[in-house]
Amino acid sequence: MFSSPLIETNDLGKVYSTGRIQVKALDGINLSVPKGAFLGIAGPSGSGKSTLMNLLGGLDTPTSGSIQVAGRMVSSLNHKELALYRRFQVGMIFQSFNIIPAYTAKENVALPLLFSGVPKRERLRRAEAVLSLVGLEERKDHRPSELSGGEQQRVAVARALINSPDILLADEPTGNLDSRTSQGILNLLQEMNRTQNLTVLLISHEGYLLKKYADDIIYLHDGRVRESEAVE
Amino acid sequence: MRVVDSLEQALSNLWKKKLRTFLTTFGVVIGIGALVSMISFGQGVQYNVTDRFQKLDLFNYITVFPAGKQSPFSGERAGSSAESPRSVLDDDSLKEITALEGVESAFPEVRFPARIQFREKTRFSLVQVMPAAVAATELVKLRAGASFADDYSLSLIISDSLLTEMGITDPDSVIGEEITLLTLMLDLSRLNLSDMSSLFQNGKLPFSEQSHRFTIAGVAERMGFGGPTPLRSDVYIPSGTAADIPTISLTSIWDFFRSSGSADEYSMVNVKVDSPRAVDRVKAFAEEKGFQSFALIDQLEEIRTGFVFMDMFLAAVGMIALVVASLGIVNTMVMAILERTREIGIMKAVGAGDGDIRKIFLFEAGLIGLAGGVFGLCLGWIVTTAINWIINGILARQGIPFVDYFYFPRWLNMGSIVFSILVSLIAGLYPMQRAARVDPVVALRHD
Ligand SMILES: Nc1ncnc2c1ncn2[C@@H]1O[C@H](COP(=O)(O)OP(=O)(O)OP(=O)(O)O)[C@@H](O)[C@H]1O
Ligand SMILES: [Mg+2]
Repeated sequence: MFSSPLIETNDLGKVYSTGRIQVKALDGINLSVPKGAFLGIAGPSGSGKSTLMNLLGGLDTPTSGSIQVAGRMVSSLNHKELALYRRFQVGMIFQSFNIIPAYTAKENVALPLLFSGVPKRERLRRAEAVLSLVGLEERKDHRPSELSGGEQQRVAVARALINSPDILLADEPTGNLDSRTSQGILNLLQEMNRTQNLTVLLISHEGYLLKKYADDIIYLHDGRVRESEAVE
Repeated sequence: MRVVDSLEQALSNLWKKKLRTFLTTFGVVIGIGALVSMISFGQGVQYNVTDRFQKLDLFNYITVFPAGKQSPFSGERAGSSAESPRSVLDDDSLKEITALEGVESAFPEVRFPARIQFREKTRFSLVQVMPAAVAATELVKLRAGASFADDYSLSLIISDSLLTEMGITDPDSVIGEEITLLTLMLDLSRLNLSDMSSLFQNGKLPFSEQSHRFTIAGVAERMGFGGPTPLRSDVYIPSGTAADIPTISLTSIWDFFRSSGSADEYSMVNVKVDSPRAVDRVKAFAEEKGFQSFALIDQLEEIRTGFVFMDMFLAAVGMIALVVASLGIVNTMVMAILERTREIGIMKAVGAGDGDIRKIFLFEAGLIGLAGGVFGLCLGWIVTTAINWIINGILARQGIPFVDYFYFPRWLNMGSIVFSILVSLIAGLYPMQRAARVDPVVALRHD
């Protein structure tokens, strides 16, 4: 059965120009990720992993090439359309959690719904539901300062999932966590990947984690894809 | 993003930084307070002058005076029509004016000096003659008693400030009491033309004093703004009665030199008409006869223009504080953006549009403006009320009645709040734009 890939990049490039210095962060990336895949992305520091993630997540725009997601040309969306793309099609989690310290877990998870005009009660009800999905129903009224790193990252995962996106982008989500907690988070991602057919892109420095969870791994080096190997 | 949510976001953000929000808002409070105080002063003056004139019907008064006489109002010499025959403003002219269509009454401005004797005290004052019909209008604000019964009654109206001068504070107590006017009259029998020096040596002036008994019919408020009203004295007597009192009608040395010599000529005739349209009729008559005339209504446009300039000046002074306050808003909000860069980045990463970010900051600015406007208006009320008390307290000692020097029309109350919000929103435009332009990639890059 023929099915077009969910994410497809074509000769994707990103050049940062700071003054006279130009940094080629990405240089001709051709990716094809089918729906429901769990793709690992590895590479040394500065190889362009985060840059690729930001382009796929619609936080940044490429300087050359194109990105297509579910048949839509993401690389040519305007500001407004990109905001909607980020809101509904992708969820992102980061190494430094990036949850708002002044908000409770529940309020953090409900944040993306704020911008779609969902009434407050509905927002909080849905946030609670997703929080119990990630196993945090007990901590829903706690603020980030009262939560462990692993719990904070779970809050971030719940927030990324609240609008039921097609894609979850995870940029070193376990970089600040110990190995046991890391596996807890990745187990959660794996579960979502398997039960909800969520497409996951995971960046990690930890080769063993990638090997354990990813179906496929690509290696970046100086902004280029070096090789791709399947994990049996 | 829904309006309630933007509002809640903005409120909670402001609440998180209470002190800073308070200080910034306080700046706006002072700015708006200064502005409304200034404008309300301008409005107060305007209200006291034009609106009160209107209420007192002063735009229905016109003053006619002989050509070549100095205008009593402008100070400049009224352009005398040299070629026209000089006519005399006498009883005949008075009758002619009274006969004009739309003229309710015309009465000459007759004032003479007299000594007022009351309850063993004597004061020197000017006595003005006034027809009973005019004295009964709102022009004369009675604090006690009533106006004269008719033009021939032997009663008078006295001003409260003259009573105060005599140490009487209860105006009701004097109604019906007897009062004596002592007037001077030229007594030629005393004048020894062959020996002018005797005049000065024995202190015998060629005048004799006559006393006239009246009862006090009413006590009137002394006008705070005497200017163009036909009320310029502390004692008023009816015109018929006045006719029986022989006096020297010189009220100033000026009249002495200017008087044409004709004893029957009035220096001024006050005309009351029933509508501003009749003013033109009286003016035309005056011109035809070669008299000068002055109508307050002609000055109305000039007065209004003057008020516009005054208002603009006052508003400009008041605006200074508000401009400083709006710089405070810009400063506070730019600081808030620097602190909240990461939060803005997070919001954008989870799908906030630039417009959503803008809304939150705009609502914050608007709320500062709203609070600043409401409390600024309150501050303005409090400050102007206090100043009004103080000024009136000082002026009361000089017998000047209570006047509201500040006036807050409804548009000022509403407008100051709207204006405060508007200024704050404008101050918030730059920070808002800056917040919307935060690059989420930069904002989220981990430290
Ligand atoms: N805003 C920027 N301006 C200039 N250069 C940048 C910018 N962002 C990234 N770069 C450069 O682009 C290259 C790729 O950076 P990127 O953050 O994608 O690397 P990475 O693979 O995520 O590294 P790490 O594993 O350390 O997170 C680096 O050389 C970096 O210095
Ligand atoms: Mg990175």
